[in-house]
Amino acid sequence: MRTGTLLWAGLEVPQEEYLHPGHLACQGCGAALAMRLVLKAVGGDVMVVLPACCWTIIDGPFPYHALRVPLLHTAFETAAAAAAGVKAGLEVLGDTRTQVIAWAGDGGTFDIGLQALSGAAERNEDILYICYDNEAYMNTGIQRSSATPLGAWTTTTPEAHPEDRPKKDLMAIMAAHRIPYAATATVAFPDDLIRKARKAKGIRGTRLLHILAPCPPGWRMESERMIKVSRLAVATGAFPLFEVEEGTRYTLTYRPAGLPLKEYLKLQGRFAHLTEDQIAVLEKQVEARWKELLELHARTHGTVEDIPVVPFGG
Amino acid sequence: MGSDSMQDLPDAPLSWGDTRWNKTGNWRHMRPEVRERAAPCAKACPLGNPIPKVMTAVSRGDLEEAARLLLERNPFPAITGRVCPHPCEVGCNRRRYDEPLAIRSIERLVGDWIQEHRTVYFPSETGKRVAIVGSGPAGLAAASYLRRQGHRVVVYDRNDRVGGMLVDAIPSYRLPRSVVEREARALEQMGVVFQLGVTIGRDVSVEQLLSSYDAVLVATGAHGERRMGIPGEEHFLGGLEFLRAVRRGERKPPGRRVAVVGGGNVAIDVARTLVRLGASPVILYRRTRKEMPAIEEEVERAEADGVEFQFLTLPTSAVKLDGYLRLVVVRMQLGERDRTGRPRPVPIPGSEFELECDAAIRAIGEVAETEFLPREVLDDQGWVVADKFTGATKRAGLFVAGDLVTGPATVVEAIAAGLRAGRAIDRFVRGEALPVQEKPLPTVPLKEINLDYFPRASRVSIPELPLAARCKTFDEEILGLDLNSARGEAARCFSCGSCNLCANCWIFCPDAAIHLDGDLPWVNLEYCKGCGVCATECPRGVITMKEELAREGAVA
Repeated sequence: MRTGTLLWAGLEVPQEEYLHPGHLACQGCGAALAMRLVLKAVGGDVMVVLPACCWTIIDGPFPYHALRVPLLHTAFETAAAAAAGVKAGLEVLGDTRTQVIAWAGDGGTFDIGLQALSGAAERNEDILYICYDNEAYMNTGIQRSSATPLGAWTTTTPEAHPEDRPKKDLMAIMAAHRIPYAATATVAFPDDLIRKARKAKGIRGTRLLHILAPCPPGWRMESERMIKVSRLAVATGAFPLFEVEEGTRYTLTYRPAGLPLKEYLKLQGRFAHLTEDQIAVLEKQVEARWKELLELHARTHGTVEDIPVVPFGG
Repeated sequence: MGSDSMQDLPDAPLSWGDTRWNKTGNWRHMRPEVRERAAPCAKACPLGNPIPKVMTAVSRGDLEEAARLLLERNPFPAITGRVCPHPCEVGCNRRRYDEPLAIRSIERLVGDWIQEHRTVYFPSETGKRVAIVGSGPAGLAAASYLRRQGHRVVVYDRNDRVGGMLVDAIPSYRLPRSVVEREARALEQMGVVFQLGVTIGRDVSVEQLLSSYDAVLVATGAHGERRMGIPGEEHFLGGLEFLRAVRRGERKPPGRRVAVVGGGNVAIDVARTLVRLGASPVILYRRTRKEMPAIEEEVERAEADGVEFQFLTLPTSAVKLDGYLRLVVVRMQLGERDRTGRPRPVPIPGSEFELECDAAIRAIGEVAETEFLPREVLDDQGWVVADKFTGATKRAGLFVAGDLVTGPATVVEAIAAGLRAGRAIDRFVRGEALPVQEKPLPTVPLKEINLDYFPRASRVSIPELPLAARCKTFDEEILGLDLNSARGEAARCFSCGSCNLCANCWIFCPDAAIHLDGDLPWVNLEYCKGCGVCATECPRGVITMKEELAREGAVA
């Protein structure tokens, strides 16, 4: 086992791995990488609670397990409730240190597990809830979820009838619960992801990380582009990175690099059918979202000038 | 899991082991290949300086490591860091993106650091003896290399000081003498012996050297000044002769208005030197600016200095009148391309005009003097015949290098030739086969650089004397970078083809199958699924995907 740290973009990242190779994620899986990075950030004193999702498969067939930390498989709608229960159980046993992470996909968060999540958040259960969002029910065959973005192809929103509703605003829902910490992150910015996970670890109460985790098969793209597409999601503004504290204090992590949204869409087959007009609609939507977020940031910080531009060349 | 009774079942199904049994390497049809390649800067450098590695070290502020890396290829970075026409910066991939890296200025910083922090190197002696004729850049480079290999090295020069063209022709505003002197002193401390004021062919013959040394390197340069062959030529000064006099302290210009004939580096050096002596030079060149063989940067500086250029002109005669010269000059036009690929200048009949000046200097090219060499190593025209790579001649033990062989070239080319000859001589005196030219490594073009990681950033501005001040002094005109600016500039380097342990491949691997324990990433092929993320996210083209042919390391 390797120990010590390596420098990545100026951040010390532990070499120690909590994710074993041999797991069953597809080639270039953003969800596998998200887990690897989060566990590097929070360390080994962790229990993971996992509802039905891609990670149920990724973790390996019974009786094998891909993490070096304990993981509890649970039912689809129960991630937050089960995590809160595990946390309570640990406390009864006198363990107040162990982080309990609910690790759910977008289906188990935006759709099926939303009630349990809302309940836990309302009670401010001391859990770290992580939604790795690949924007559809991927392991069952790419069916749409309420996290599927407007215009996207899935097997249940075929090209003739692509997704016609905007992605549900999970962060606004969580902000409305006034939980101490909620943040978005994605795998192309591991330094940011790790910092946010560490920050969340240091806070008590319900914390939520919403991690965009590209899915090469589901997004209809080459596996080697997984990081590229994650980076472009941020650089074009399609997936804003930000933090919300106590439901009211908004801090934007980066402002977009001024790249057209098309640069993000064109890497993904799930958007290949979009016409220029449809892309223009999506662009308007992204712009409107940014306007809203910038106002929220300005309300918190009095300015938007302090938001750095996303590090991006090209 | 055959169990006989319900009591054997746990309360909940628990895993028994981890997934490492599952060798996912057999999913792979593409394999990441970790292989360093040449950067276009290093490929363009006659010395093959490992520029990306040096830049990485400088960006970390580790000048000691930068010095170590640079000295492996270039014995005199303080010199090339000043006078090299930096083909590296032309090759730099960043030139095609924003602006090329200021490689030469960083090399100079490292070179100056070496001059201040040098420790004397005492090699173990081989007992072999090598004579080097000529203490210019080629001779000094060979001396440095051969002494480091442990051979006794004696360097002969007909001058009374070490450095050849470095101290005799290149003006001090480009290369201060102290920089060369420090290198010479370092060589002396290492045990190189200098025999100055000895002319080979007059005081000692090449044959005598060959009989008393194990090998002889002749690197006497090209000092013969080409003549124009026109009436009144005796009124022209030689360009090198003029530069030599100024470097020896002459500060009186030969006249106020001085015609300088030629378009090479000597012509430009002469003209810019004249400006510093208070004269007004006019350069007469028979082709156009585009064809000038001089270093482009120096031509630009000459223009800024106020040197006048009259292109497409050629003097055909000169007469001395009362205290001034009258040149008859013919206008030229460009004709067909000649052997060198440049258009041939052809006089325009009837276009002659007169040009009056106080003095005239010709600098139309230099040729090697070879008459002191054994006949057998010369061709019918008196040119030296030698192997282009090793400098070996027909005569066993006699090697040649530098301008003597190539005609006037740059300092860096002379150093490169000296080092190649040095390596060949080292093999020769050890009785080993001479080295052969290696196939150059493939380079990394800009399109293989992942530009996502490189926001555009402008080149550092290099401090120099203000224009008005520089034209009045022989002090160095370009100044050095401070460490902080150099670090920032070095950090702009793409490090094309050279791993700098940025750790992208490691941090982005979804299968935890890449490790960074040594100088290069190591891919665990037992588990690598071949997704290709590492190759795409390697910013510098060190990792590429290759089709999987054999199933090594994977369990079928």
